[in-house]
Amino acid sequence: MEEIKQAMALYKKVLVAGCGTCVTVCWAGGEKEVGILASQLRLARSAEGSEIVTLEAIVERQCEKEMVAELKDKVTEVEAVLSLACGSGVQVMAELFEDKPVFPAVNTTFIGMPEKEGLWVEMCGACGDCFLDRTGGICPIVRCAKGLLNGPCGGTRKGGKCEIDPDKDCAWVLVYRRLEKQGRLDLMRQYYTPKNFRAVKRPGRVQATKA
Amino acid sequence: MEAKIGVFLCNCGGGMKNIDFDAAGAKVAKIRGVACVDLISDLCLEEGREKMAAGIRAENLDRVVVAACSPEFKEHVLGQVLENAGLDGHLLCMANIREQCSWAHEGDVTEKAVELMNMAVNKARLLQPVEKQDIAVDREVLVVGGGFSAVASALQFSRVGLRSTLLEKEVVLGTATRELEGLHGFDICSMIDAVEGDTNIEILTSGRMTTAKGTIGDFTVTITKEGEEISRKYGAIVLATGYRTELALGSGLELRADEEAISRAKIVSQEQLFGMLNDPFIDTKPKTIGFVFGFSDENSRFPTLATLNNALAAKKEWDSEIYVFCKDVEVDSEGVEKLYREARECGVVFLKCEVLPRIAVDNGRIAIEAEDVFLGEDTIVACDLLVAEELLFPTEGTAALSSLLNILLDSRGFYQDENVHLYPVASEKKGVFLVGGCRGDLDTGRVLTDISSAVMSIDKLLLSGTITVEIERVKADPQKCVACLTCIRVCPHGAIQLGRVDGGKEIAVIVDLACDACGICAAVCPAKAIDFQGYRDDQLLAQIEAIEES
Amino acid sequence: MNGRIIAFCCEHSAYPAADLAGKLGLHYPETLRIIRVPCAGRVDVIHMLRALEKGASAVLVLGCEDGACHHITGNIRARERVKHCDMLLREIGIDGRPVVMFNLSPNAPHKFVKAANEITKIIKESREAR
Repeated sequence: MEEIKQAMALYKKVLVAGCGTCVTVCWAGGEKEVGILASQLRLARSAEGSEIVTLEAIVERQCEKEMVAELKDKVTEVEAVLSLACGSGVQVMAELFEDKPVFPAVNTTFIGMPEKEGLWVEMCGACGDCFLDRTGGICPIVRCAKGLLNGPCGGTRKGGKCEIDPDKDCAWVLVYRRLEKQGRLDLMRQYYTPKNFRAVKRPGRVQATKA
Repeated sequence: MEAKIGVFLCNCGGGMKNIDFDAAGAKVAKIRGVACVDLISDLCLEEGREKMAAGIRAENLDRVVVAACSPEFKEHVLGQVLENAGLDGHLLCMANIREQCSWAHEGDVTEKAVELMNMAVNKARLLQPVEKQDIAVDREVLVVGGGFSAVASALQFSRVGLRSTLLEKEVVLGTATRELEGLHGFDICSMIDAVEGDTNIEILTSGRMTTAKGTIGDFTVTITKEGEEISRKYGAIVLATGYRTELALGSGLELRADEEAISRAKIVSQEQLFGMLNDPFIDTKPKTIGFVFGFSDENSRFPTLATLNNALAAKKEWDSEIYVFCKDVEVDSEGVEKLYREARECGVVFLKCEVLPRIAVDNGRIAIEAEDVFLGEDTIVACDLLVAEELLFPTEGTAALSSLLNILLDSRGFYQDENVHLYPVASEKKGVFLVGGCRGDLDTGRVLTDISSAVMSIDKLLLSGTITVEIERVKADPQKCVACLTCIRVCPHGAIQLGRVDGGKEIAVIVDLACDACGICAAVCPAKAIDFQGYRDDQLLAQIEAIEES
Repeated sequence: MNGRIIAFCCEHSAYPAADLAGKLGLHYPETLRIIRVPCAGRVDVIHMLRALEKGASAVLVLGCEDGACHHITGNIRARERVKHCDMLLREIGIDGRPVVMFNLSPNAPHKFVKAANEITKIIKESREAR
């Protein structure tokens, strides 16, 4: 918040733009969070004795140029945009409205799934070289604290918990149990050479076959 | 179109002397949208309410604010006045100028009253009607269980004219209960006879619920009975699955093999003791009996009652010496005080101790050692029979049923009452009720109270065959809902499902029949897609804005 | 700041408790403005923030006692949100305008009055400290 506050310090009228898809689902940048952030900004400013005018908007998917373009009128009105979308949405917004500074309001950290309401866990590291076929559908690269490829580290706690964080399951215990259930434990005996994490040349780019 | 708001003030027949009603009325009349202000001094009375209805019609009002007593008393009555005048009852907003203004403060509070009315007018402007509909319901009730509380429930349902099904997992009714009846003082055998002869009650033994779908008034339940699947519709479900007990001897009881055998024979449960007492062929009558109970942190109604009943019976049958080690004797159930007195008078010795007594096998007898709080010294009693502390647990299958019906369990694994004070027999899912031992430690009197209140609630719900439901009072906007499932996961009443409206995309659909209008979903929705008429975001914020204007 | 305290009151507990306080003639600061909600769980962070934005000097969220919420988890969620809101306010350096949650039962008018007095005291103290 401190970062956002400083970034906004120069401006008197800003657009707080949320995204209606992924970040809404994970409680980071939907209409609710947009409202809260805007209110927080106004309060912060009034505490300093000045004012800020905030417009609020939600785009269905901020990573789609066509959808972001709908904000044109609102963006023209303001001096800067504060985007609650993921890094990709922020960049689309910035590209489309090149003359306006666009600031990210969230730090996009991982690809995960909801475990229960309000708790998300990282499931995929988007490494570009999927390993899930050999581990019973459990990714040790992100779900093991050390990203090990060939079994647990030896520090596994009682009850199959991670030595680094006892709240987390040891991914390799999960892998073992899953493969055991499937009768595929032989996969554990194989040795996997270090992975080439450069499988995806950054920036990633995928061209689907034209239909 | 701007709303036409009428404000009706009631001075409670002169009961609010510190508000200047003329001045307040004049100020309120200036608020935007207020079409008329009327002072009526007796909204409690029929005449006053008729005047109000006449006012609504004469001015052709479309929103109404009443500044009077607390909405807790009069909101429903005044809502009816609106309905009589041709307006929806939800278009009323009350300003509580009596309990929360006039009576709560000393000195003149006209200004605060005006502010409260301003808040109400601001909210009233945004009110919207809510449609009502009668929904047909199934009038049959499913009672799960075959023990005392289940059987007694079925009998009561029959008495009020509701058909019910008793679903028991064992081969016969009352399997586990037969051994308990003497301890609790009821006659399960004749109750089962009554159930079997009752045409309003169907008995399904050796049956288990395998799926349960739907909501109050419309549950579809599949039951597996001897490999066969039966599908039934019920309007309500009553869980009466009881409890089970386990002996608790405390830690540190280490026994050699020979002692093990002695302890098995001489440490018994209340039920076992009851069995021995009723056994005419018992070989040796124990001379000294020790009871230990009440050291777990839970209520001990069942152990108290069982101990007192058994101790008295043992005195009478065997004339044994009896020592009761306990922390407290809870006599809050009906008749227990009398039992306790009787026990003391015929010579049962009660020893108060703070911690669970140590138990050892000594010379073929059981030694109980504890510090008597009053004497302040260790007391050791060697006895021929020890009736040990028993802990209560939910019956096997409780957890499975709870996940099947999607209802909560408490920290001990029993079914969680919706509200321990207000609605003890309701689960958080509308239409699913809990009676008896399956919701914790209860004595017979309390179980009967449970049953009566569950039967009365269900009778009220199902008797007419229809339930009047507010349609779409809480609703997710299909345009805004992103189907993130947050509301479905947080709804305490299991009233939200993923569904399609008119074949559109999948969104959260709130089942009106099951919704209890708490608004938790509206608060958590990250897309702000859920509107709760009467407590919408803009309606709450409009009230807040009124304070800025003042 | 206009000195108003906005109190979101659950209609199953705090609202009837406030009524009872009035009936018993227990006095509390006149600055209190009660907004009735069906459950403390209906109150969201944005409602608390907006109340402060509109000039309230404090926000109270009053719900049922632990374990007695008519909607099971409403009071627990409310407490979490109050905590979150407090964190948001700290982030932007706003203190002295407290957002506080209290639990009470419908028959506890004294507790209601205590909550009102307590928050008034907090506001006063922080104002004097500045």
